[in-house]
Order: sequence, then structure tokens, then C-alpha cells
Amino acid sequence: MAESDFVVVGGGPGGIAAAIEAARAGVNVTLLDENERPGGQIYRQLEKGFRVTDSAALGNDYEKGLQLLRQFSSLDDRIRYWNNTQVWGIFKDRTLALARNGTSSSLGFKKLLLATGAYDRPVPFPGWTLPGVFTAGGAQRLVKTDRVLPGERILLAGTGPLQFVLAQQILKAGGGIAAILEAGDLSKNWLQGVKGIWGNWGYLKEGWGYLRQIRKAGVPLLRRHIILEARGQDRVREAVIAAVDENWRSRPGTERVVTVDAVCLGYGLVPSVELTLLAGCEHEYDLGLGGYVPVRNEDMETTVKDIYAVGDGAGVAGSRVALYEGRIAGLSVARSLGCISDSDARKHSKPFRRSLSRSTRFRKVLDQISMPRPGLSELAKHDTVICRCEEVTFGEIQEALAQDTAHIKDLKRMARVGMGSCQGRMCGPAIIEIMRHRANAAPGGPGSLLPRPPIKPTALRILAGLDPDE
Amino acid sequence: MKMKDRRIRDGVQRGQPFDILVDGEKIPAYEGETIGAVLLAAGRRTLRYTNKGERPRGLYCGIGLCQECRMVINGIPNTQACRTLATPGCTVEIQQSNRKRGG
Repeated sequence: MAESDFVVVGGGPGGIAAAIEAARAGVNVTLLDENERPGGQIYRQLEKGFRVTDSAALGNDYEKGLQLLRQFSSLDDRIRYWNNTQVWGIFKDRTLALARNGTSSSLGFKKLLLATGAYDRPVPFPGWTLPGVFTAGGAQRLVKTDRVLPGERILLAGTGPLQFVLAQQILKAGGGIAAILEAGDLSKNWLQGVKGIWGNWGYLKEGWGYLRQIRKAGVPLLRRHIILEARGQDRVREAVIAAVDENWRSRPGTERVVTVDAVCLGYGLVPSVELTLLAGCEHEYDLGLGGYVPVRNEDMETTVKDIYAVGDGAGVAGSRVALYEGRIAGLSVARSLGCISDSDARKHSKPFRRSLSRSTRFRKVLDQISMPRPGLSELAKHDTVICRCEEVTFGEIQEALAQDTAHIKDLKRMARVGMGSCQGRMCGPAIIEIMRHRANAAPGGPGSLLPRPPIKPTALRILAGLDPDE
Repeated sequence: MKMKDRRIRDGVQRGQPFDILVDGEKIPAYEGETIGAVLLAAGRRTLRYTNKGERPRGLYCGIGLCQECRMVINGIPNTQACRTLATPGCTVEIQQSNRKRGG
């Protein structure tokens, strides 16, 4: 069986930063990336065939990403980069199962770092399954790297700064935005949070710049508004929107209908914790960090020795936090493998720890605006599909919950939620929030939908390639 | 009638143009584009129909997680349109429900 001292899963900022620090300290690293090229979602590069003629048109992140990726590729004597590689299992004997080059293989590790990223929080409401309703992240990918507009009259609905980034990108690309709905109360909370923002002028300036461009383009920005329904037969054609109170519950009488041809939903992100769950790491529920997140020490090590987790996949906090956490974890791995001394590791990681704590304070301010409020879990109607794969409706889920189901794994058995091909990534976060707000909620929360290997749909011919004697 | 094209021209130069076949119809594509992007650029939103309710679904998460964009690509069902690059002459079918596919 192939082996590597330090295996990193995920080619976004967290994974790359960890690989860079460890490699610089002399560690041999293998980085596994399910994508064609490194960068993750935020620094996603354009596919072969595209030629960038004006990188400024692709946004700030694109240029920032290029710098990091250059550092990464300059260390290719120490870092082995495997693209198009899907980690589909992780086993107790420090082994990963990989799908790569059309077959399966296993890879042993001494230290493992999971930097698996996050995805948009799925929020079920009537019509959310209609073609033309996208996640904000999906729309961003279309605009940034496929260079296609999701529609001509786009409604952005959700909360938080990522929406404004997307809006700015759509406008820059010449797209039309019907309106931006911000569920939170932006203005009031921003003022409250000034103390936490101190020292984060970089972020603030960027956000401010986006807001200015949005206003200049004449796009209505409706604070404390939410989408209640997407309407249309074969595709979205109308959206019903309404004003909401501080719990994000719609205020009766404020509903109106907007003509749209695309809706982008950006209610924050949820961490991809399939691998940390599969590895047996302890998790706790922190809605500010996006949901269930692995418990970690200050070196980013989980409760399972030698398994680290960084970035949005360990708690949604954005790309800068991912970079700092990645660097801290990379140095810690280098130290524990004996490549650098304790004092050097401490010295090198000190500035990253300082930046990290500053960024964390800033995130907590944003949480005050953007953390999902109870009203968000009350939008689904009786016949709204919650589990997209198995087409399980809210009514069917309620029926199962009425039988005193306190844990999501029981609900899975009873109602088939999370048993489809996305393995509960889409319905899980929404159901957990629905269950958490019930009167008979379990004190420790409903738990997660435990993933099973293969954690993503994998063809049998690929699974069959794994040599059991390896 | 000239077909609407939602491609963004700014900032990039596209690669080789070619056609792909979507349910037998020629749709223009460029090297480096995913099948999902090609269809969206042509104004096509529905990529599959669900098994139980036979309801239309399109691109949703766009990053390979939600499985809503599963199509029959080069004869292979359940292929993710958001993760599969278009290639000259490739054939794409809107994925019908299991019942309609005789499954």
C-alpha cells in the first residue's frame, strides 16, 4: 500500500496553506483534490480552454489565489498533488480509500489533515427545487469560472457578505439583478459590532466597496426581507418576497410578487464534515460555525489523534481563517513529525494565531446579522420537498417526527430522508434545524446523518478496483 | 432566430468552439465549459426529471454535491452535468424518471 507522512484532503486555501508550511519545514506532503486544479471553490481556476485576458474582471479573490497557488507549485519537490481524486472512505488503520484514474486504491498516512470546505446552507421553501433556483455558491461558480450568467433578472436572497460579493460579480459581468434580499438587520448590527471589527479594516473596506457598487447600479437592497416562495411550472418565473421580523418570520401583509428568471440563495454555509464524522471525531453543534463541527485543540487537531481539520470544513469562517488555520496545522504537523523544533513552530505560528483570533472576533460580529433565525426553518409547507433525492416532503417528515423521533438517524429509518445520492448533504442541515426547534428536541441535538463509504456516488467498477490484499 | 447566449465575454477568451448534441439538437459549446454551463448559456434549465414526482430539476449547488444535475452523458446515466466538461460531439440526454427509462 502507498503511504505518505502527511496527507491533506482538499485543495482550497486551508489545505494549500497547511501543505505549504509543512513542506517548507521539510515534510513530504500528498495533497488530494477532487477538482482538476488546486484552489478550492474560492480560488477556483478556469478550465483549460479559457484564457484570462483581464484578471481584474474575475475579482479580488482570483488574484489573491494566484499568489498562493504559485507558492504551492514552487514546492512541488516536497508536495505531491493528486487532482481528480475523490476520498471515499477513511478507516481505523490510518488508511484512506481513494477513487482516482478510474479505479480505487488505498493510501496510508501518519498525519492527516481534512480541509474539505463548505457548501451553501440548503433552505427549503415552496418552489426551491424549481430549475432556475441556484445556491449563491453555485451561481458564483457559474459567473466566475464558467463565465455564464444564471439569468437576466436575478433575485438574490439570503444573508451576509457573500451575497454582496456575488451581486458585485454579476453586475461586473453585465447581469441584471431584480433585488437583493438581506434577511438580517444589516445597519443596526454593524454599528453594534464596531468593537469586534476593530483591526479588520481590510474586510470592511472590501464589503463597503461592494455595497457602493450595488447602490450605484440602482439595485434595490431590501434589508429584513426574505423569499417565501418560488413560482413557475418548468422553471422559476416569479418569487414571493416579504419583510421579516428579528426572528426572520414574515410580517403578514408585506408579501409581494417579483418577476424573476433566476434565484440565488445565500443563507451562509454549512461545513462538509463527512470525513471527520467517518473518522470518528467528536463533533459539537455551533450554528455560528454552520452546524456540527469537529472539536479541535489549538493546533487544529481533532479528538482523533493525528487527524487535523481546518478551514470552512471545520467551522465556517471564510478563506482568511482557513489560511491561518492551515498554516498553524501545517507547522504543528511538521513539529510532531520532528522536522522543526517546538520553539520554531511556536515562533512561526505566533502571527497566524494572532490574526486568527482577530478574524474570529470579526466573524462573531457577522454572526449577529447572518446566523439563521428560527423563521428560516418554518418556510416549508406540507407538500414542500425537503429531501431532494428521495422526494420526502415536509408533511411526511412531520408525520415521522410526531412519533417522538428525537434523533435524525431514527428519522432517516422512518422517512428515508438522507438516503439518496447526496447522502443527506442537502436535507440534513435543514432537518437538524427543524428538529432543534421542536419542543421535544433531544438535549444534545438530533445528531448528524452519518455518512457511509463511499461518501459520494462512486461507480461499482471503480470500487471494484480496490485490492483487498493491499 | 438567433439563440440567446448568456456567456460573459469580459475578462476571458474562450477556447475552441464545437457542438454537442442535447436530445438530438446541436448546441454550441466551447472547450473548458461544463455541460451544465453549456445548457444554461443556451437557456435550457431542466436537466432531469425526478423519479417519484417526475418534477423538473436543474443546476442547484453547482459544485458536485446535490446530485440534481444528473444527466445521461455519452450514454451513461447519473452523470453530473456540473462536473463534466463538454467535448466535441458528445451526446447529452435529459434524464427521465426511472419509470420512463424503463428502470
